[in-house]
Amino acid sequence: MFEARLLQASLLKKILESIKDLVESANFDCSPEGISLQAMDGTHVTLINLVLRNEGFDTYNCDRSLSLGLSLVSLSKILKCAGNDDTLTIKARDNESDTVTFVFESPKNDRVSDFEIKLIDIKNEQYSIRKSDYSAVIKMPSAELQRICRDLSIIGEIVTISANKEGVKFSVSGDSGSGNITIKPTSDSDVPAEQATVIESKEPVVLNFALKFLSNFTKATPLSPMVTLSMSEGIPVVVEYKIEDLGFLGFFLAPKIE
Amino acid sequence: MGIKKLTDLIEDNAPTSIKTNVLKNYFGRIIAIDASTSLYQFLIAMNADVSSALTNQLGMFYRTIKLISRGIKPVYVFDGSAPVLKSGELAKRQARRKEAKENLKEATEVGTTEEVQKFAKRIITVTRKQNEDCIKLLTLMGVPIVKAPCEAEAQCAEIVKKGKAWATGSEDMDSLTLGSTVLLRRLFFSEAKKMPILEFELQSVLDGLGLTQDEFIDLSILLGCDYCDSIKGIGPKRAIELVQKHKTMEEVIKHLDKSKYPLPEFFPFQEVRDLFKNPNVIPADQLPIFQWKDPDVEGLNKFLVEEMGFSDVRVAQGIEKLKKFKNTSVQSRMDSFITVIKKPEDPNDKKKKVTKTPSKPSAKTAKKSTFKRK
Repeated sequence: MFEARLLQASLLKKILESIKDLVESANFDCSPEGISLQAMDGTHVTLINLVLRNEGFDTYNCDRSLSLGLSLVSLSKILKCAGNDDTLTIKARDNESDTVTFVFESPKNDRVSDFEIKLIDIKNEQYSIRKSDYSAVIKMPSAELQRICRDLSIIGEIVTISANKEGVKFSVSGDSGSGNITIKPTSDSDVPAEQATVIESKEPVVLNFALKFLSNFTKATPLSPMVTLSMSEGIPVVVEYKIEDLGFLGFFLAPKIE
Repeated sequence: MGIKKLTDLIEDNAPTSIKTNVLKNYFGRIIAIDASTSLYQFLIAMNADVSSALTNQLGMFYRTIKLISRGIKPVYVFDGSAPVLKSGELAKRQARRKEAKENLKEATEVGTTEEVQKFAKRIITVTRKQNEDCIKLLTLMGVPIVKAPCEAEAQCAEIVKKGKAWATGSEDMDSLTLGSTVLLRRLFFSEAKKMPILEFELQSVLDGLGLTQDEFIDLSILLGCDYCDSIKGIGPKRAIELVQKHKTMEEVIKHLDKSKYPLPEFFPFQEVRDLFKNPNVIPADQLPIFQWKDPDVEGLNKFLVEEMGFSDVRVAQGIEKLKKFKNTSVQSRMDSFITVIKKPEDPNDKKKKVTKTPSKPSAKTAKKSTFKRK
């Protein structure tokens, strides 16, 4: 028996919003430690890595590991039925069952809805990424990254990100012209530390990425006020959104190579 | 051609091992293409009775451009001589062709156009000259080619097995028996015919059928391959049951009721097995590194326009496309940065949707730590 209760159903809703356009279906791996999900998009350019730790749930019961293969499209449709303040309970029986149940309860406990989704068989694969000591780690407001992606998408399809100690430059060029946006580390001491832009740069790094994927990642902006970009020459960038008390949602994006 | 009914058998017994995909999702992949079967297809597809040398080159030229413009890196593998064992099959094909020729003659006199076309397609052969022209064309286009000492499929499998290419592109299911880890079908006509590409993964096929590679080879022989006759009265269903039960061809034959299922007169299964296991190929590490060069514009113009009589405008357009995609940056794939760990699975409840994986917690913690930075 697996049962996990989350105080905010909206959290899972936000997570789904940001990943459902990248992957059609994925396995939610439930273990005593928590729920995790790893999936690549159809073109194998991005990898989603979601970790939700057990301690972040209101209650969490999982005596035996199991994989819940779900269509993310169906799941996001069902999550739309949850009110913003509803709590969410996920229930699955061990082996025999071929469905998983989602229960939404309103805060005043005057409305309870439950939905069953059919499980699908998805090849069970686990990915491990080579460890890397990144040349540049940028922490910045997530809304800022979202805006940069939105603005630059108007001009072109490929973004060049160059980072050094002084700042991070996002450049795009297209048929109609080109554009640059540079973000500098916060120097204003009035800004609280958790909202400040911080650049840890060991060496300058320049990478090219398909902008449409980066824009897609920024759909996760509602999950966290800050986002972290970790980059090294020639390897995928990691765009990571911390989910408070619960875990994180990370996106890996393979670079374009000349 | 290929293994009889193998596709159906895989569809029934290991449905998850066949994936469908679209051409553009294979960008950045190196694909070893069995050129001989592709050539044969162009000839059939492009209606045989027009000057075949021309259609052939045209097909090769445009379809290769299509692959390259989708970011795929093709390597063409050409047939050498056919193995001795195949002579039986080849003789049969010859006979069929002869028969078709006679039918064609008859059809041209009394039959409908449809019939004429049907028989015309059957007499198609790929000539040595056409092969050489294709090699010349591809070299001018800057695409790497490999001349196999024997069968092209076997050479493709060797290249894929050693990781020099990601998949084999062929219509022949032999490729799996020969050990290609991934096989792509319909690579050339998927977009034109609006059919998805079929992707077969060898390991999942074996897992699904519950066989080892050696047993899979014996199954292929039992189903009927190009190299020897199959046993009369044994269809795909019986064949898989027999191999699953008895494991080897020797045991299958031992337990077979010979009065009901007589062995064919000529049944050198041990030699055929050896042909699948150790085919005559150039070891992949002895092949030169595959390089995709810039197209030779002058050479292409001379060959296609002057010698073959193609329209110069269309050739110029094709060359433009080739050059454009040579110079754009290439999107890399996550596959090159990650390693895939197969999750432990309990073979007994494979069919169930929710699988219990008892040893997973430990694997999970190990995985988490690899994700931690610093």
